[in-house]
Parts: sequence; C-alpha cells; structure tokens
Amino acid sequence: MKRGLFLLPLLLCLLVHWASLSAWFRADDFAWLAVGVGRDVVHALFAPFAQGTIRPLSERAFFMAGFGLFGLDAMPFRIVVFATQFANLALVAWIGARLTGLRAAGVCAAVFWVVNSALVEPLGWVCVYNQVLCGFFLLLAFYFLLRYVETGRARYNLGQWIAFLLGFGALEVNLVYPALAASYTFLCARKNFRRTLPLFLPSILYVVAHRALVPLPGTGDYALHFTGSMLRTLATYWTWSAGPVLLWTPLGLPKAALLAGVAVVTLGLLWFLARKLRGGTAAALFCVVWYAATIAPVLPLRDHLMEYYLYLPLIGACWLGGWAFAEAWRATARARVAAVALAALYVVLVLPRTVHDAAENRALTVRVRNLVEGVARAHELHPRQSILLVGVDSELFWNSFPDHPFRLIGAGPVYLASGSERHIDAQPNLGNIGEFLLPADVAANALARDELAVYDVRGPRLRNITTAYAAVPREIGLPARIDVASPLTSYLLGPEWYPVDGNHRWIPKRATLRIAGASAAGQKLYLSGYCPDELTRGGPLTVTVTVEGSTQSAALPPGRNDFELAFPLPASAVGKPELHVTVEVSRTIRAPGDARDLGLAIGVFEVR
Amino acid sequence: MKALAAILLLALLGCQHPKVHVQQTEEETAAPLASTVHTGDPKSAAQLVAGFHSIEENAWRWTERKFAVVLSTPFGAAQKGATLEVKLSVAPATIERLHAISLSVAINGTTLPPETWRQPGNYTYLRPVPPALLTGSSVRVDCELDKALPPSGADQRELGVVVLSVGLK
Repeated sequence: MKRGLFLLPLLLCLLVHWASLSAWFRADDFAWLAVGVGRDVVHALFAPFAQGTIRPLSERAFFMAGFGLFGLDAMPFRIVVFATQFANLALVAWIGARLTGLRAAGVCAAVFWVVNSALVEPLGWVCVYNQVLCGFFLLLAFYFLLRYVETGRARYNLGQWIAFLLGFGALEVNLVYPALAASYTFLCARKNFRRTLPLFLPSILYVVAHRALVPLPGTGDYALHFTGSMLRTLATYWTWSAGPVLLWTPLGLPKAALLAGVAVVTLGLLWFLARKLRGGTAAALFCVVWYAATIAPVLPLRDHLMEYYLYLPLIGACWLGGWAFAEAWRATARARVAAVALAALYVVLVLPRTVHDAAENRALTVRVRNLVEGVARAHELHPRQSILLVGVDSELFWNSFPDHPFRLIGAGPVYLASGSERHIDAQPNLGNIGEFLLPADVAANALARDELAVYDVRGPRLRNITTAYAAVPREIGLPARIDVASPLTSYLLGPEWYPVDGNHRWIPKRATLRIAGASAAGQKLYLSGYCPDELTRGGPLTVTVTVEGSTQSAALPPGRNDFELAFPLPASAVGKPELHVTVEVSRTIRAPGDARDLGLAIGVFEVR
Repeated sequence: MKALAAILLLALLGCQHPKVHVQQTEEETAAPLASTVHTGDPKSAAQLVAGFHSIEENAWRWTERKFAVVLSTPFGAAQKGATLEVKLSVAPATIERLHAISLSVAINGTTLPPETWRQPGNYTYLRPVPPALLTGSSVRVDCELDKALPPSGADQRELGVVVLSVGLK
C-alpha cells in the first residue's frame, strides 16, 4: 500500500500529460535535431549556441543521439523525457518525505507539482528537456546529500558531487545547487555545513568561464536587468506558480477571480510557513529557499518570462504545500476541511490549464508533423523540383520554417508562396519571413521551367495545386529580394556567376544581376554574404556597386567575414521595374585545387 | 554496456540516414481548373485567389470587402461570351449595420455593372461577359463591395458577403 502510494504521482503524470506523450516536434526542436549535422562532434557538443548556452547533455548529446538513432520519430525522445520525469517525481516524493518526516507529504508534493501548468512545456516540448534533466541532477545531488547527512558515508558525498557536476551539462541553473546544499545543512544539519562550501568552487568557475566564453547580452529579450523589475518578475512568476500560467484558464474565470484564488492559496502557505517557523522547524524555510534559489537566475530576464522557468522552483513550493496538506489531514477535522478546500482550489486553478495546454501543444505539433512529413512525400515525388507552399499560417510558420525542419528530411529548397506574409504575424525577434518567400516572378519562371511543385497545406494532407497555381494570372515584376543561392533565381543573374555553393554563390572580379527598382525614395540596395580572411589579407576589400550609372563603393576590413553592405540608390531607381546592378571587387583569390578567380561569396541582394 | 556505448558513439558521430516518415499527399488530377468554384469545396481553395475566409458549414465562405477567384473559361466562350454567376447571401447583420451593399466585378480590368441589395437574403449576381474578355484559358474575376463590416470584438475578420459559388456559364 505504502509503495503503491508512490506510484500515484507517476500515474497522475501519465493521465494529465497524456497528450504530451504523443506530441511531435516543433520550432526549436528542429534546430537541435540538426545540431550534429555537418559539424564535428566536439564543436556540436561544446560550442556556445542559442543565446550562448552550452548544454552538452540535455540538448546536444540528447538530440544528436536521438536523431542519429531514431530520426524524426518523437516517441523515443518522449520516453526519455517521461522516464526522467518519473525519476524526478520519485525523488521529489522521497526528499519531501525526508524533509517533513511525513511520507504522505512527499507524495502530495509530487502530485501538486505534476498538475501544475508550468510542467506542460518541459514534458511536451522536447527542447525544454533541459529543465527536466537539470531537475533530475539537482534532486539526485540533494538526495545524496540527505543520505550523506543521515549515514556519514563518503560514497554519498561522492554521489552528490558527481550528480552536481553532471548537472552543468543540463542547464545553467544547476549552479545554484551549492546554495541549496549550504542552506539545507545550515538550517537542518549544521555540522555538515562546512562540507558543502567546496561545492561553490565549481559554480564560481562555471560562471567565470561562461562569462569569458559568452558575453552577456546587453540588449534584446535576453538582456539582464538587475533592477526593481526583478521583484515584479518574481511576483508574476508567483502568480503563475499558485495559479495558472499567464493567469488564464479555459474555465473562463476572470483574472480578478484567479488572482483572488492565488491570494488564498498563498495565504494558506504563508500561514503554514509561519506556524512551522514559530515551532522551530527550519526545513519549512528550506522549501522557500529552494523556490527562491532556483528562480533567482531568471529574475533579471525582465523581457523573457517563460512558463517553464517555474519547473524547478515549483518543487520547493510543492514540498511546502504537500507538507501543509499532509499535516492538516492528520490534525483536526477543521484543519482537514481547510486543507482539502485549499488543495481543491489550487487544482481547479491549475489543472484545466495544464490539460488544455498539453492538448493544444500536441495539436500544434501534429500540424507541424503533417507539414514536414507531407513535404517529405512531395520531395520523394518531385526530387528535382523545389517546393512552394500555399496556405501556411502564422502558427504553422513560426513553429517550423525558422528552424529549418526540411533540411532534416533532405528536401531541397522549400518556400512560402508570395502573399503568405499577409497571413503570418511578424515577429522580428524570431526571424524574418522574407527569407522564405519566393517572389511571384521567380515562382512564375520556375513553374515555366518545371522546377517548382506547389502544394496547399490547408488540410490534413498536402495537396498538389501546381497546375492551378500556375494558371492563376498574377501581377508580376522582378523581385526586390534575390537569394542568389536559390537555384530558382539564376535567370536574374548574369553569366559571370559561379554555381550555387551552399547558402551562397561566388562571383569572379565582376558580376551582374537584375532586381526590382525602389518602391520609395530613400531605399537602399543591401548586399549580404561572406568574405573569407584570404580576401582581406592585403588590406580592406573594396566592393563597388553600379546601379543605373551611379557608382558607390564600400570597404570590407580584415576580420569582417559575415557582412551586409548598404548602398544608397539614385533617385532614378525609384519606380523602375528593373535595375541592372554590377558588383565588382578590388581583388580576387584562388583556392588550392580550384582554378576559378574568387571575388566574394554573396548570399542575398535586397532593395528596401 | 560496451554495445550500448558503441551505439551511442555511432549516434554521436552522426548517422546520415535518419528514419523519416512520409505522409501521403493529394496529387493533381487531370482537370485542375474549374469554370465554377463552390467555395465550400476544399478542393477549390486554389482558385480562391484573395479575400475569402475559411469554409463554414461545409458549404460557404465569408468574404472580405475585396475578393477574387480564377476560373477556367468555358469552351467556346472566346467566340460567344459567357455569363458570370455569383451566388451569394447578404446577412441580416450586414443590412442592419450598413443598410445596403453593392457588388461590382471586374474581369481582366473591365468592370461589369454593379448591383445593390437593401434586404438580407439569397441573391444571384448575373452578368453577361463579352467574348473579348475570355480569350485566355483562365480568367481572374475581381469582386469589390462598396463596404464591409469591420473587425469587431466578437469577430476579428472583415466581413463582406457570404459566397456560395462563382462561375462562368
């Protein structure tokens, strides 16, 4: 019976998060699935990516091994995620029981944790596995600490160190573990306190090394704000902890009612905490320390509040809540009624949102799977053609295109039909829709050469509409943005250009192309690409652009590899349907074994 | 244990043949363009070029103020012309708020006579189309209402009329 009690959170986890178990991939997942493609293993495992994070275990090795073994089959990933979560639930229950002295308190804590809506993304979105794995290492290290405190055996101390050090491979938040260990021993096992102090050393070294390798962002969503905003952020996170994330519930309750519910739950917890502290039970304070320590690293992220940041802090709050519930249950009838009422209120606040979000997330991933696997079939049927998609909406676009899922299935270029941008919300912080749009003129030319297959994605299956699409008369003109690396834009380029080479084309000393004129005065011609160090070894490389008889130059200094140059357009370029552009560089190089004169690697021309 | 390590190592080195499931697609049939499109038929979506909202009740779509379709020209239309037929419905809410609504249609830049409705109900907009406008294998039909219900709190769409079908006969 007692062992069966420990199974309750696991079964509840499966029940509440069932939709997550069968979800597919979306958005950032695709970037991580591709992390090992075309990179050497060491670089793929340890180079800073995505806001400078280095998470070799939870992201790099996890996705590389998963994709290498199972491709785009999501189920093995899910099994790993849920297995780790089961371990976490068992650890939360065990540690909760040890902290409180009540077995039921640990189980209640695990139950309160698993129904919280902040757990949807860690369990339903594969790329948030870093939270789950970090939780495992933190809890495991703390489990070993408790065992060490109980028995004094050195092997438990060693286990703590190993789990703690491995945690750095999961998530940066792991660095707070020494604070947790020191706080616990200071409050509850003072004679072991000094033995936890050396744990701070790896955390300090980690911070120093991380700062040296990856400069902190000063602007954008990930900029750190060590101001009073941290308190506001903390308050917001607390309302999402005791209530539904983002303070919304499918029950349709107004925000004021939700806040009132959060306040009642909070008062209940505070009352219990005060009672415990008055009675000298310092372990209750440790629950608060756990919440505060694990949320502290994300409080400076004022402009980047994420539900899943609560995954770890909630454990502390749930230990306190589980403790309060279990103790009240064993006390008077009045206390029992109050505890049940508070627990029911909490569950009503959070559970509907959890079930709703898990189902919604799964539905979204199914849409993305239909798209990606449909494109895979289209590519099988039309291997020599690029694919143009019609009917992609905002939700589908932002959960697929920016992270390039189609390269994982070996499909060639996949584009959005011109006009799609009207149905997709702009989100500049996530990406540029324009990169994926195929201008109508380019599409028309590609269709005429039978180089394009067009599919409508508005339905459970992709539908080939190539003939119908080609038959629709459209007002077309030369595009204002030319991706020269696309095989479909070659008709706009002069004969000087070399063939497509990855995401660029090389030019010799001089090359020409045609592009649309400016639609308004003040627009410029932007030219982006890559300039290898060999080209600037003899000093800055001069890039000269001639448009409508007007010549402008810009210099690329040594060391500036990725570049974007802007050239003002002459007034005569405004309103012109076609501009003839000439690009010339001041020197060329030759690569070993390559007889070509290489001037510059160019990616995109754009008039804007 | 060694076998597991070997498998993991192989995976880390990046197997280049990941398993990819494919989903069947609906490929084209021989007759891709219709001379009459029923807006409630998902297969006609490709011919609804602009201004149509999603299918409702498996039968019809709301439009925006401007909407357009592409139709194949019926056999012989280049010699004898054809009749444009737009089956539509004007909603009571539209008349209640806008009092009247007019539809004008342009084919290849030539505008056909408009029609105005002042009562809610089902209507058919019928206009003869001269042969000179129907010389191609397909034709774009641009429809424009003089006004439409703007997006509101209840419905964030711009709503013109409900269209059931557009065809050349």
